[in-house]
Amino acid sequence: MTELSLAPFPLLRLPLAPLLFAALLWPLLLGLRAALGATISLGQPRPHLSRPLNQPLSQSLHQPLDWLWISAPWPALALVVLGPDGSLWLEAWLLGGCWELDDQRRLLLAFSALLWGLAGWYARGYFAAEQAQAAAGDPDSRARLLRFALFWPLALCGNLLLLVAEDIASFYLGFALMTFSAYPLVIHNGTREARTGGLAYLVMAVLGEGMILAGLLWGAGTGSALTLSELRATLATADMGLWMGLLLWLGFGVKAGVIGLHLWLPLAHPVAPTPASAVLSGVMIKAGLVGWLSTLPLGMAGIDDAFQGLGRAMLTAGLIGAFAAALLGAAQRHPKAVLAYSSVSQMGMIAALVALGLLQPDSWPALSVLVLFFAAHHGLSKGALFLGVGISEQPPRLPAWLLWTLLILPALSLAGALGSGLIAKWSTKKALEAAGEETLAVWLSLAAVGTTLLMARTLWRQWRPWRETIETNQRPGHSLSTSHRPSQTLRASHSPSPNPSSNPDQNDQHLLAPMPLAWLLGIVAALSLPFWAGWLAGGLTAELADQLADGIDGELEGAFSRQLAGGLASPPLSALPALLWPLGLGLLFSIVLGWSLRRVATRLSHWLPAGDLWWPLAFCGRWLWCLARGLLQGLVILQAAWIAWWVARERDGLTGLEMLTRAEGWLRRQLALLLLAVALGLAVVLLLNAKSTLLWP
Amino acid sequence: MSPTPLHLLWLLFAPLALGLLAWVRPPRHSGWVLLAALPLPLVALWLLLGVETGPMAGRLALGPLTLHWRLDGLAASLWLLTQLLLLASALYAASYAHATPLRTRGYAWLWPLLGGLALGLGLIWIAADLLLLYAGLELMGLCAVGMMLLPGSVEALTAGLRYLLFALVGSLTWLLGIALLLGAWGRLDLAGLAAVAQPDPVTQIAVALLASGLLLKGAIFPLHSWLAPVHDSAWTPISAIHGALVVKASFFILLLLWRALLPEAIAGAWALGLLGSLAVLWGGVQAWRAVGLKQLVAWSTVGQLGYLMLAFPLLAGTSAAVALMAWQATWLQLAGHALAKAAMFMAAGNLLLSTGAHRLEGLTGTSRRLPLSLMTFGFAAVTLMGLPPSAGFTAKWLWLQASLASGQWLWVLVLALGSLLSAIYVFRVLRCSFVEDAPEPAFRPLPLGMELIALVLALAAIGLGLAAAWPLSFLAPAGVP
Amino acid sequence: MSLSPMAPAAAWVLAGLLLLLAGVCLLQRHLWRACQGFVAFALLMSLAWLLLGAPWLALAEALLGALLTGGLLLWTLRGRGALPRLPTLDRTARRGRLAAPLRWLLILTWLGLIATALVGLLGLEALAPPASVTTLLAATGVLIMGLGLWAFSTQRHLLRRLLAFNLLGSGVFLVLAGLAGPGAEIRGLILIGLVVALLGSVLGAALLLRLHARAGQVTLNPVFGT
Repeated sequence: MTELSLAPFPLLRLPLAPLLFAALLWPLLLGLRAALGATISLGQPRPHLSRPLNQPLSQSLHQPLDWLWISAPWPALALVVLGPDGSLWLEAWLLGGCWELDDQRRLLLAFSALLWGLAGWYARGYFAAEQAQAAAGDPDSRARLLRFALFWPLALCGNLLLLVAEDIASFYLGFALMTFSAYPLVIHNGTREARTGGLAYLVMAVLGEGMILAGLLWGAGTGSALTLSELRATLATADMGLWMGLLLWLGFGVKAGVIGLHLWLPLAHPVAPTPASAVLSGVMIKAGLVGWLSTLPLGMAGIDDAFQGLGRAMLTAGLIGAFAAALLGAAQRHPKAVLAYSSVSQMGMIAALVALGLLQPDSWPALSVLVLFFAAHHGLSKGALFLGVGISEQPPRLPAWLLWTLLILPALSLAGALGSGLIAKWSTKKALEAAGEETLAVWLSLAAVGTTLLMARTLWRQWRPWRETIETNQRPGHSLSTSHRPSQTLRASHSPSPNPSSNPDQNDQHLLAPMPLAWLLGIVAALSLPFWAGWLAGGLTAELADQLADGIDGELEGAFSRQLAGGLASPPLSALPALLWPLGLGLLFSIVLGWSLRRVATRLSHWLPAGDLWWPLAFCGRWLWCLARGLLQGLVILQAAWIAWWVARERDGLTGLEMLTRAEGWLRRQLALLLLAVALGLAVVLLLNAKSTLLWP
Repeated sequence: MSPTPLHLLWLLFAPLALGLLAWVRPPRHSGWVLLAALPLPLVALWLLLGVETGPMAGRLALGPLTLHWRLDGLAASLWLLTQLLLLASALYAASYAHATPLRTRGYAWLWPLLGGLALGLGLIWIAADLLLLYAGLELMGLCAVGMMLLPGSVEALTAGLRYLLFALVGSLTWLLGIALLLGAWGRLDLAGLAAVAQPDPVTQIAVALLASGLLLKGAIFPLHSWLAPVHDSAWTPISAIHGALVVKASFFILLLLWRALLPEAIAGAWALGLLGSLAVLWGGVQAWRAVGLKQLVAWSTVGQLGYLMLAFPLLAGTSAAVALMAWQATWLQLAGHALAKAAMFMAAGNLLLSTGAHRLEGLTGTSRRLPLSLMTFGFAAVTLMGLPPSAGFTAKWLWLQASLASGQWLWVLVLALGSLLSAIYVFRVLRCSFVEDAPEPAFRPLPLGMELIALVLALAAIGLGLAAAWPLSFLAPAGVP
Repeated sequence: MSLSPMAPAAAWVLAGLLLLLAGVCLLQRHLWRACQGFVAFALLMSLAWLLLGAPWLALAEALLGALLTGGLLLWTLRGRGALPRLPTLDRTARRGRLAAPLRWLLILTWLGLIATALVGLLGLEALAPPASVTTLLAATGVLIMGLGLWAFSTQRHLLRRLLAFNLLGSGVFLVLAGLAGPGAEIRGLILIGLVVALLGSVLGAALLLRLHARAGQVTLNPVFGT
């Protein structure tokens, strides 16, 4: 594999270990820097007084999102490009660490680091107003920004660690670090909605972490496994392997947004800051997928038959998720909520593909490449779409047609009509047909109709407020100071402290300002994914080509593998109608539905709020809590009554003892009579005993 | 039948003679007492070793009147115990007179009464006819009442008068019973009565009368209520000898008569056992609630006497093995309790004398200032609670086995509850003694002899449990009569 | 029986007088007269022993009972000595009437029990008007015993209770003699009984005097006063 993968790489290679350490440690160092800044800020209650004295420090203190901070994922990108394949053993780390870099990891690392970098850059523009407020001495803004600056690199570090980890301990550490560091990013705004979203995120995350930990410990304990490949082997053969697999599927399914466990996605995404939403939806939910790929015995021969059932459950859940999320998402008003449901839908499709790894292990090598490619495509496209939401709120100086063309491009890609989306779709279709799963291919095409619907819905929901603000600005007499911030009203609804009068950075509408530039680069990266991925993962595709060439059906797979090896080439024109009909159908549906339901749309979105099941569940939870509290109070009352009862009995006992003492006085006074009574009683007993044997046998 | 040996007569009358001598010149030093009275237990021991081969018996003719006596292992053991306890009390009394200002005339009267008590008890142990028993019982009772009255306080007078009146009435009940027996069978010697008497109604009524009189004198529930006030105000050595021996003599006579006259009366035996059980519980509860230390000890006597009554149901109509266990347990409990109770009264008297307190709460700080007496109290309590290795434990263990073997489960419960109650009241005393934060009373120094005598008795009670085989060996040849 | 036959009329008179004097002893509120009644009762008892053919007992009864015990009781009331004498009038209240039915029931049952035993011993003919002096005196003894028991359980005055005890003892002696005749053992028992009664009375009287001097009370319970 090493020779194979080295061949198509013309670039120079650097040693693996320094690159790995740099990629993981650099975000940690940046997080440490932010933590130090926070500590200093605590020590300086009135920083505006010290500002003239200590300019460089206060610079990093009041503007935590500086260029250095943006550079957090850069070493990881360097690792992707310059790192050789190989593994690094660390005996002293945890239970014995093993970090690896291979072609799969390279692809995952590439799009993850890229999206983290773009989102970080975007954040610099996104938080410009807040940075300005912090610089002006607003402690709330400064605290929020410092928190963001601390946990963003930590989550990045966790994400990178889980991607490169081959040992279970590192993997879980990275996963948990990422999960829990993302929580402060979700609640960044501190509004009520943000807290609700954060609560949903945290509850589901803890639930998932619990199941993951249980599954990992169970599996690792059963098979004495330290690495993930050993764990997969253990699961494939262990007696209770199915249950471990189920735990792990559900645990990672929380992150990957399996339907039923997806509740946190539509609640957390709209309230999180846009760059955080982008990485949450683009990268972090892929960690769930990575978890599946790393721990489930996918494509392994000789696994327990019971895994067939699990595979069927995964397939069914994935397809249900793909459709249900599309329908629920179409009812949402907030574009980011629509996008979150779209993520659920897309992850449902991916989960259905992953399920084939259990159902048809033979076709898994081809499918796994597709799954990875699909994941990278979805991550980058969804990232671009999320970043685009922010762009439509604060549009740069572009002509409207160009702006909207750029906004539509990633949506079309996701719908499978363009660029990476089209290629992914075509490859999937071919692979599924090769595996004999034509039915699933049709189902996935139908799901793509839903994707189109969702894309149309989110663009529509972005276009409406943009249109309204433009019209408002064109009205005569409107204040000029707000005219160049058209989406101020919309942003105010989920940003806590936008101050319209303070607009320090006039350049954020410039095309080369951080936000638009990051967005543009994101679109480019998403659309050009097949080209650079093919270049990057040449070894991967070559390997796949070899495997497919050895396949049974030589003709078709051979052609397919050649296409892959040629850099995931575009489909032939003749295949386009078969690939594009879902788009057309989706657009038709969108128009028909949008027009027919325009009157009830408001009510519909009211009936189906973002987070769907969360609300009844939360209601049930509150009800249960009230019930439990009532029960608890009842118990407290019961306990008090119980204690009081015993105290009363104690008093009774004392009274009884007093009575006994008094009775002693009576006995003393009546001693003469008692003497008579004892004599009589004894005589009676003796006489009766003698007279009749019936009384005393 | 042999003529009465001289040493028997000497052992009977020497204490009285010594007592009369001491009445003339009350001893001021315990050394003299030891010197004069030490031969008595030695003679008793000699007697005990003499009856190892078999019981002695004889008769004494006083004109037309013939008195019967009998000395077996049990009687000799009890007599030895009596002499030892009397010696211990006498020694303690001499020290007691040193430590506390007693009324001179009262102190002088103590000695002949002690001698009379020794004579009465000796008569009871060796009597083999009802006349001699009657004489011994009355002598013992009158001497005991007289001793109880020596302090002269109002409480002592009232309690003593009550004791006197009821003891006299109890004797009359007993005399009436004897009258019926005499009328029915025409003889008074126990062996003859046991041979001829049938359990007909007259005998049963007679035994009921005899038993009620003896229950009153033996302070068995519900006829016990004279006991606690008497002890509350009596002198410590007198309380010790009374609680240890006097009440037990009545029980001894009752058991003797019952075995001779109505050995098969199961219902009556159960009635007596139930009275004993009630005594155990009542005594325990009252001891738990007692205000003063001596009251507590006296109430514990009531409870412990109740255990002895378990002998009746366990001896009546049970198998030979069960009867033997119950028989041994009874005498072991009697002896162990006698030693422990004397020790406990003496220890309690020491505590009270030194602290000048009457209530339990006044014992504050005794754990540090009077460790020896408190330890003695604890050792004695070990026997009363029935903890190993004391005689109380061995006795209760035998009773337990006998109860289980005979299927009389009720007594198991009684034994358990009784031990629990004993533990409760004993630990109440110890808790009061270990309180450190209350103001300490002024402690009066005590002669070491007072503490040592009590300690020796308490240790003897525990040693009796360890070496129970030897005294029980004197019972074994005689077996259950 | 070794008794000389006697005219039943004299025995009846003796029995009646004994009962009468017992009643006087126990019911007369004037204690001096009650004690005098006791002396007379003891002398009549001595007569009864004489009639029953026990002269030594008669002598002992006269000496121990009438002279010493009676004299002691009288001395308690009006003798010379360091301690103040007792008041001669019994002002103490009797015990509550609530327990009276129970008390009567117990005493009567007790008497019935003794009577049953006596009938069991002497035969059913004893139920007919008693033919012999022995039986008559035994029946008298039972009745005196009942009176003594009643007084002992009802009266609070300690001197009265001592009197009741002495009468009770005399009743028991009569039953004893009536059952078994004046044999050597009987004489021994009665003699011991008389000595015990005397000693008990002496002790009781001395204590009573001291209690009266110390606390001013003539009952066991200080509440019921002098």
